[in-house]
Amino acid sequence: MNSSLSRIGAIARTTFIELARLRVFYVLVLFALVLIISSSFLARISFQQELQVTKDIGLGAINFFLSMLAIVATAQLLPRDLEDRVIYSVLAKPVRRFEYMLGKFFGVLGLLVISLVAMSILCLAVIHLREGAAVRETMQQLAQSPSEELDHALVGVHQAGANRDLVLALLLILTKAAVLVSLTLCISSFATSNIFTISAMVMVYLVGHLESIARDYWLHQRAAGWLVRAFLAAVAFFFPDLQAFNLSDQIVAGSSLSNLMLLKLLGLGVIYIVGYLVIAIAIFSQREL
Amino acid sequence: MKPVLALILILAAFVPLKLKMEAACDRIVPGALSIDLREQIGQSAFIAVLGGFRSVMADLLFIDAYSAWERTDWTYLLLRLRQATELQPRAILFWEMAGWHMAWNAGTAAMEDDSKSPAARRRLQHDYLELGEDFLVRGIAYNPEKPQLYEALARLYRDKFHDHVRAAENFEKASRLPDHASYDERFSAYELAECEGRERDAYDRLRALYQRGEKERLPRLINQLRSMEERLKIPVNERIP
Amino acid sequence: MTEPAIRVIDVTKIFPTPFRRRRVVALQDLNLEIAPGEIYGLLGPNGSGKSTTLKIILGLIGPTRGSVRIFGRDNSAVAVRRDIGFLPENAYFHKFLTGAETLRFHAKLSGLSGRETKSRVAELLATVGLARAADARLGTYSKGMLQRIGLAQALIHHPKILVLDEPTAAVDPAGSRDIQNLILSLKKRGTTILLSSHLLTQVQEVCDRVGILHRGKLLREGHLEDLLAIENQTELIVENATPDLLDGLEREIAAGKARVVARRKPQTSLEQLFLKVTETGDE
Repeated sequence: MNSSLSRIGAIARTTFIELARLRVFYVLVLFALVLIISSSFLARISFQQELQVTKDIGLGAINFFLSMLAIVATAQLLPRDLEDRVIYSVLAKPVRRFEYMLGKFFGVLGLLVISLVAMSILCLAVIHLREGAAVRETMQQLAQSPSEELDHALVGVHQAGANRDLVLALLLILTKAAVLVSLTLCISSFATSNIFTISAMVMVYLVGHLESIARDYWLHQRAAGWLVRAFLAAVAFFFPDLQAFNLSDQIVAGSSLSNLMLLKLLGLGVIYIVGYLVIAIAIFSQREL
Repeated sequence: MKPVLALILILAAFVPLKLKMEAACDRIVPGALSIDLREQIGQSAFIAVLGGFRSVMADLLFIDAYSAWERTDWTYLLLRLRQATELQPRAILFWEMAGWHMAWNAGTAAMEDDSKSPAARRRLQHDYLELGEDFLVRGIAYNPEKPQLYEALARLYRDKFHDHVRAAENFEKASRLPDHASYDERFSAYELAECEGRERDAYDRLRALYQRGEKERLPRLINQLRSMEERLKIPVNERIP
Repeated sequence: MTEPAIRVIDVTKIFPTPFRRRRVVALQDLNLEIAPGEIYGLLGPNGSGKSTTLKIILGLIGPTRGSVRIFGRDNSAVAVRRDIGFLPENAYFHKFLTGAETLRFHAKLSGLSGRETKSRVAELLATVGLARAADARLGTYSKGMLQRIGLAQALIHHPKILVLDEPTAAVDPAGSRDIQNLILSLKKRGTTILLSSHLLTQVQEVCDRVGILHRGKLLREGHLEDLLAIENQTELIVENATPDLLDGLEREIAAGKARVVARRKPQTSLEQLFLKVTETGDE
């Protein structure tokens, strides 16, 4: 068991080093950072609007770029190892195919965590700074008003700013990205090229955001025709419900995420990740190198 | 055949578990994406929404609404407000601002429109007030746990419709929700005091607030209490000092 | 009787080609055995099935029919690979890792502990002469250096069997000689070596037995001396013989109803000359 973990760890570390050297990684993170910073110049209507826009764009940018990074980074792992034939020297060692796959998964996950932390720190810093400015503005405007009015206004400012739920939204974004990594590995396990995997995953990304609607239609028999029902069933069976992890909308709007809901969503993420990885390993184990 | 069988078994275990967990995570999704919306906001915006950028799109539409307000293009403003609230019905700010824009800004502009007759102006203003009311009522339907929209609706009834009954009702509803404004109970009582036949009720409420201590004994409350004591002929020994 | 180190039993490999009617038969009913401590050379032209054979032995691909046993155990068990070291053709390693990192990586994959890894990596870097280039990325290595790091990673876990695919391709004669010497010293330690090469002179110098593959079939196999001996001829190399002595010998041979096929001065090989000259040049 220990040596299995050691092998997975070695492959994960090497994968991480490989990806961290990719230019695309830096470009994507840079774009996200630019977007987050620019969002603070976007809306000057009210501080609430500004904070809402900053949070929406910040979380939206992090969501999008982390998802794209997950897909692009993972898609080229297997083809590259196969093309360079590095996989031969690795698998000639006492390395099981599942250890190889898990190593790749955790290597990409490491990269995603670091990217998320970098982007989140910036996003939260921008929100925090704007919140501070809003507090000063409010105190200035309501200097002559009764204290309870000022207190109430300040509560409003802090509610619009950074809070625990924002961190949870980021955690769910990471979970969604991890799901995308496992699904990309799944497709990569039988795909013959990088391009095919990325194209397929872009389609999966879009369909995944509509999976809940497809599932609803299929479960409640709202569609006519067996072909359409079969298609909806296929979507419901195999595609992940990516929209489920997009709680950013609700959280930015002020809804709180209960602990139970958080656990359910993390559980859903784990089911997806484990399921797609098992399928990926099963397919890859049979693949002729 | 063995690998295929293994794959089928894995899927047979995965799919039911997946569906069950997804059902457990289902919650009210903010409005289905209609074809009308797609036509209104255009293809690329729709794709962006599909890609999970619903609220960013809503923000941009709302910012566009703001520009419409600056141009006093009320029709365009209304369109954008409807789209923004449809995309992001959980954003209290959108509903609140929509109500305000319609009832206060558009309504006032209608009354000041010299190109129309006085009767036409009043009709148009009334239409805008109703639009404002509609936004707030729908906003409350999506966000029943938020006091801000009840407060906004109460202000609308108080200041524009002069409907003290509904104003009192909504201030009271707001006062029962977490994070409500500290003045909700007082304002509810003040409005109730303006309603025929509800004066005693109003007095009792104001009195109860007074009993809570210094924090509630604001000048307006004290004045209102004294005025009601006169109106209701409250015995001297029962009046506030 | 000791279990053979490698035993290939009736292995057939057919690669399906989806859009053509004819399938590619890479190997057909291949049987071979390699005894422990033996150096076996697998020869054959391009497309003969050499790489396929090695991959099947290493468990990288599965045979369509048949099986492979490593010291009696089925080679589909991953643990079996703890006894095997593999040097691939063209050094298939991560170019972004340094020499030392590559060896540490492969040590971890082979199950070595931290302390073992440290000492082994230092030892092997010295053995293959890459101690000074240990911290340079593999992307900057020459082909010869890549080959040497490849050998080092193959040996990192003290394997009982070493599989070498074209070990001296793209290596200069000096490097080639070093690798040969290393192979021979490993043999002395009891390591079984399977090497695939098309450099016949080198195979001739190190191998005990060879097998010749052609179009997926093993055509000839056996000990080198047996295979190469020209049955009815004998070579006699004589030093300091006078021309009279040599003429006398020829007369004796003719009288004994044998025939002198050729009489000439033996030649050194170009390789030997190269080594001699460059060694002297170094001094």
